[in-house]
Amino acid sequence: MRVAFFPGCTAQADQIGYEASVRAVMPRLGVELAEMEGAACCGYPPYSSVSEAAWFYSSARDMAIAEAMGLPLFTLCNGCHLSFTETKHALEKDAALKAKINAKLASEGLHYEGKAELLHVFELLHDGVGKERIAAAVTKPLTGFKFGAHPGCHSIRPSKLGRPDDSENPRKLDDLINWTGAQAVEYPGKIDCCGSSLASASGKTVMEIAGEKLKTIKGLALDGLVTTCPFCFKVYDNRQRAIATTIGDRTLEVPVFYYTQLLGLAMGLRQEQLGIELNQSPVDPVLARIGGA
Amino acid sequence: MNAEVCDQCGKCPSACPVTARIEGFNPRQIIAKVDLGREDDFMDSGVIWTCTSCLKCRERCPEEINPYDVILELRREAIAEGRQHPASYDEAEKAVTETGVVSQPQPARTRSRDRRDRAALGLPPAQKPKDQTKFTQAIKELKEEKA
Amino acid sequence: MKPVLVIGGGIAGIQASLDLADRGTKVHLVERTPSIGGVMAQLDKTFPTMDCSICILAPKMIECFRHPNITIHTQSEVVGLEGGVGDFKVKVLEHPRSVDAKKCTGCGLCSEKCPVKRPSDFQAGLGQRKAIYLAFPQAVPLIATIDRDACLWFTKGVCKTCEKVCPAKAVDYEQKENVVELNVSSVIAATGFEQYNPKGIGEYGYGRYKNVLTALEFERLVCASGPTGGVLNRPSDGKVSHNIAFIQCVGSRTQTTGYPYCSASCCMYATKEAVLIKEHEPSSHVTIFYMDLRTFGKGFQGFVDRAQNHWGVKYVRGRPGEIREDPTMKDLTILYENTDVGKVEKMTVDLVVLCTAAMPHRDNRKLGGVLGVKLDEFGFFEDKDMLTAPIETSKPGVYVCGSCHGPRDIPESVAEASATAAKAAEDAARAEVKQ
Repeated sequence: MRVAFFPGCTAQADQIGYEASVRAVMPRLGVELAEMEGAACCGYPPYSSVSEAAWFYSSARDMAIAEAMGLPLFTLCNGCHLSFTETKHALEKDAALKAKINAKLASEGLHYEGKAELLHVFELLHDGVGKERIAAAVTKPLTGFKFGAHPGCHSIRPSKLGRPDDSENPRKLDDLINWTGAQAVEYPGKIDCCGSSLASASGKTVMEIAGEKLKTIKGLALDGLVTTCPFCFKVYDNRQRAIATTIGDRTLEVPVFYYTQLLGLAMGLRQEQLGIELNQSPVDPVLARIGGA
Repeated sequence: MNAEVCDQCGKCPSACPVTARIEGFNPRQIIAKVDLGREDDFMDSGVIWTCTSCLKCRERCPEEINPYDVILELRREAIAEGRQHPASYDEAEKAVTETGVVSQPQPARTRSRDRRDRAALGLPPAQKPKDQTKFTQAIKELKEEKA
Repeated sequence: MKPVLVIGGGIAGIQASLDLADRGTKVHLVERTPSIGGVMAQLDKTFPTMDCSICILAPKMIECFRHPNITIHTQSEVVGLEGGVGDFKVKVLEHPRSVDAKKCTGCGLCSEKCPVKRPSDFQAGLGQRKAIYLAFPQAVPLIATIDRDACLWFTKGVCKTCEKVCPAKAVDYEQKENVVELNVSSVIAATGFEQYNPKGIGEYGYGRYKNVLTALEFERLVCASGPTGGVLNRPSDGKVSHNIAFIQCVGSRTQTTGYPYCSASCCMYATKEAVLIKEHEPSSHVTIFYMDLRTFGKGFQGFVDRAQNHWGVKYVRGRPGEIREDPTMKDLTILYENTDVGKVEKMTVDLVVLCTAAMPHRDNRKLGGVLGVKLDEFGFFEDKDMLTAPIETSKPGVYVCGSCHGPRDIPESVAEASATAAKAAEDAARAEVKQ
């Protein structure tokens, strides 16, 4: 299958390891990633607190590009996916707003009808690619490894807009982890927030919120935390040392992976192909155990 | 914002990660104040900027008031009224309006203190609007128009 | 004089039947399950008096059975209604029990020997019964019933152990369903209620966390005739639970998962269940998380005051946002805000009881269609006028009483039942005069 690939600002600019892992893994599972020319920010972080119209414009714009390509809009970021979903719902309900946005889109040679299907990375992998195909692609099953899934808030809430997974008992990322041969372990607070949106207002609180989950994972002696959102990853991985300092636990050493990185390893790919050299958390022991990374 | 429907049941602050940690933030109390027309009590305090958008309140509110939506609405009002807010919102907004993205691609650090940029990872150049001026103009016009 | 049809053998249906029968009017009491009694038979005690529920109910059940003017049809449903007040032609479908009612003595040997187990409805799913079973020890009629979907003879053509062991030779696998045609002067709907299943309210973990129960399940747990003999052995590990929380308004007073209305009796029955826990073990910690305490009946506020002051039941105003389960111990942690002081807190307990909404029985819509009467948007029978004709329906001669009318407690259901009996008696008398 072919999809319009939307990495989103954070993956593109900063979490390039994630983008690399998605580009490495998807084609090997039969998903061709088509480049979206002219795509820009989904609009959620800069505009949602400023102007609804500007926000919906940005999201509608990317959906319009995918529509023009005749392809589903595939994103690897929880936040972008929710942004597109919210915009789709809002413009369905408000014809006047939709017309206003289309009037502006016309100046960029674009038109939004809301026809593009929205695909979130773990939704595409779980429901689109599916268990058999993934199992067939796994050549180095991660047997013996135990991970905690972190689906992230925006992939599971709010359920009434339709999200890739259940809001109170999400299982898809757990299934995906199990399909690599590893074991996804249930833990209290799985559906909790990473706190990243709080960064501008109170950096310390972000550390405390994220620290809760890392402590739980450490307490259960799991091999790591697995996520699909660049914002979440940035907090748990890139900022883990700062979290450890803030919560006063210097022994906090939790490996954090993007799911596509884990899947790539199980498919026999090397860490350089999956951007894992850019993971700041202590992933080397895990890589050593998997071997040949 | 149908804040007047609120029963003050207390579900929204219960699992809120911020209420548990930041004094002065409580979505139930925010809704109560909005209902009473007393937003001024907190609009300058920075409290509305401490929501982490986890959406648990939005998911669980039995009256579908969705405190998160109320907070977003208050944020827009605050910015429109020129009230105090974190600078990063202005920075992000300016960056996207003028360049189409929140930030330009940076080389990322490896665990061994090396650097890798997009090209080094075999990634194509980052996506951005074909005609930046048109994008900027559209956004500016939409922001200016009243809802 | 033409008889009256009473649909539903719970306390309301029983009361209406006895009122009519005692004044000489004949009654056909139609009950869907193998025994009359309804939800009241499943309760341990009743509020606010803390009377033993079955002790009050069973004598009335027996009276119905022995009354010369009452004919009880169990395992039966009303499938057709024609005509008008004073002259209704009714079709009642009697499902086969596969046991001869005239021979069965209710000894229970068949059930003892039956190899097939199923969750017991009477025990709210917490205990089991057999494919051939007696509904509960005080069942009326005390006659065994075969669940044909579970029975090995009906599903696989093997076993027949019950037939072999029955001393009265009462098992009759050939028994067929039977349609009874009745001519009645009026109809009383008393079909009762069901408890809302809270698995749709995912944040409370019902169905995922073993130690989260509904109030009716808890009622069976605390009751001496329940699956644990009244010992509070919690489902996950059998640990005797001394630290229990109740959550009110689960599926009630909501625009999202559940119903927008208040379910009327939960504040009181939660208090009752809390007092029962304290009576079992005074050192127990019991907390009730509520939105408002609806104690409108006579003696109700005093009941809650005593629970608080004498028994030490704690009341916290706040609807909890989330319940978490400890992965190994299976204890539950409740995340809530004490809205009286504006503080967010956590409480870890052994067991959580969800007081879920009272909803109309799922068959009400079908029955409403058969009777040709209006139901409200939630599926309760709609009254003709709330103030002036509260127990009449949209069809003259069809009356409604009890929980199928709306959420209500036992005293209200009984009062409504007597009211419908009075109306029905009037119709019966008029029909008599016309003839």
